[in-house]
Amino acid sequence: MTNVYIEGIGMTKFGKFVDKSMKQLLVEASIEALENAGNPKVDAVFVGNFMGGSIGNQEILGALVANELGLGYIPTAKVEGACASGGIALRQGIMGILSGEYDTVLIAGVEKMKHASTADVTQAINAAMDNDSNEKQAGLTFPGFFGVLANRYFYETDATKEHLAMIALKNRENALHNPLAQFQKPTTMEEIMEARIITSPLGLFDCSPTTDGAAALVITRKKGAIHIRSSAQSSGPTQMQDADDLLSLPAVRESGRLAYEKAGVGPEDIDVVEIHDCFSMTEMLAIEELGFFNKREGWLAVEQGRTTATGDKPVNTSGGLLSRGHPIGATGVAQMYQLVQQLRGTAPNQVEHARLALAQNLGGTGSYSTVHILERL
Amino acid sequence: MKVYQCDQCEYASVSNKYRCPSCGTGNLQEQDVSSKGTVYSYTDIHIAPAEFAHLAPYTVALIQLDESKAKVTVRTDGNVQIGDVAELDYVEDGAYIYRKC
Repeated sequence: MTNVYIEGIGMTKFGKFVDKSMKQLLVEASIEALENAGNPKVDAVFVGNFMGGSIGNQEILGALVANELGLGYIPTAKVEGACASGGIALRQGIMGILSGEYDTVLIAGVEKMKHASTADVTQAINAAMDNDSNEKQAGLTFPGFFGVLANRYFYETDATKEHLAMIALKNRENALHNPLAQFQKPTTMEEIMEARIITSPLGLFDCSPTTDGAAALVITRKKGAIHIRSSAQSSGPTQMQDADDLLSLPAVRESGRLAYEKAGVGPEDIDVVEIHDCFSMTEMLAIEELGFFNKREGWLAVEQGRTTATGDKPVNTSGGLLSRGHPIGATGVAQMYQLVQQLRGTAPNQVEHARLALAQNLGGTGSYSTVHILERL
Repeated sequence: MKVYQCDQCEYASVSNKYRCPSCGTGNLQEQDVSSKGTVYSYTDIHIAPAEFAHLAPYTVALIQLDESKAKVTVRTDGNVQIGDVAELDYVEDGAYIYRKC
């Protein structure tokens, strides 16, 4: 259990913003979070970001935020953990408060990707693979990794591409009600099933998009309504060929186990979930690894509608990465934005009487995972 | 094909490590094994990063080696299915290129 509370939240619209710099997006989300928290004194800033250097030529994000907001000469840092950068930034802030060093920390996450070509973005994302490996040289990509997992999942279970499409459709339907989501155009099973293939069996709707956007949180030791009950982080294999069980993401499983243990709750107690659905297949594996459903039976739960906003285990009521959008460094923070709204009772796709919420943020091909469990007091 | 086999447990990998990540105590010993194996899973990549765009679409497969517990990620010459038997054809820029037997 931590003694850390979320006092304020902020988030930009996710999408394509050619006229806004990465700094502008960061500042916009941060100001909203500070105002939402009642403008407390901030002792430190942690910013989650992955490719600001490689495709934006912009670093020193922590100091930029402190200067633009006039926070004074406080310590700041950028945190990189591929797609888990945001979740790890949050965890660093929590650790700073738990250590006694800080009372109040501003957490932000940002990415600006839409100005670059798909080939250049795919190349930059591949920095989260092991350069010094035969696997990367073979031409494996991030979507490719989850394509290999999906084909094996289909081989070992009775799941088909339609089950992945059900996940993509569910998340799109949730995004339709989220005004900050990137995709707000309705779709159909037919359109998802017939979309062009990115990496077999995954089609366009099975893959999260490139996105511009930012999100921010103010966390503090001052007791408030939203309690961070636990924070956990794990690493996993950095190469697919080193997976002991290809259909397992050990970092997700272990970070989930630690988070439940620290919080003193189990998967059955969680009312609402934000999961790192970078691909539809990733959501399938994560709902199993986090213990919501049995291994290799997640597809049955999907088929039965149990993960929809009105199901018994609502997953990605924000629209998830697939439809809310995936500005890489912002994603882990944006998950918390949605869950805090759920616990405050003001969320798109509000789950009635939500009291315990869980967020899981993944980086690389299972290289990093964070899990945070929130509680409404 | 070089693999690294733990001297204390069953763990094996195509990449060496300081100590065995499975049992945490064993050391990995280099072994030469046959490149022959079975396709464990695969994907046909249509959208590729800039450095591989000229190859797309191409197939990446995970091969379960016959003579080791290790698996190896390879690019295949042509399409494959799970269960296909394949072996190393040649090595190109650090990538193992496999073909069906």
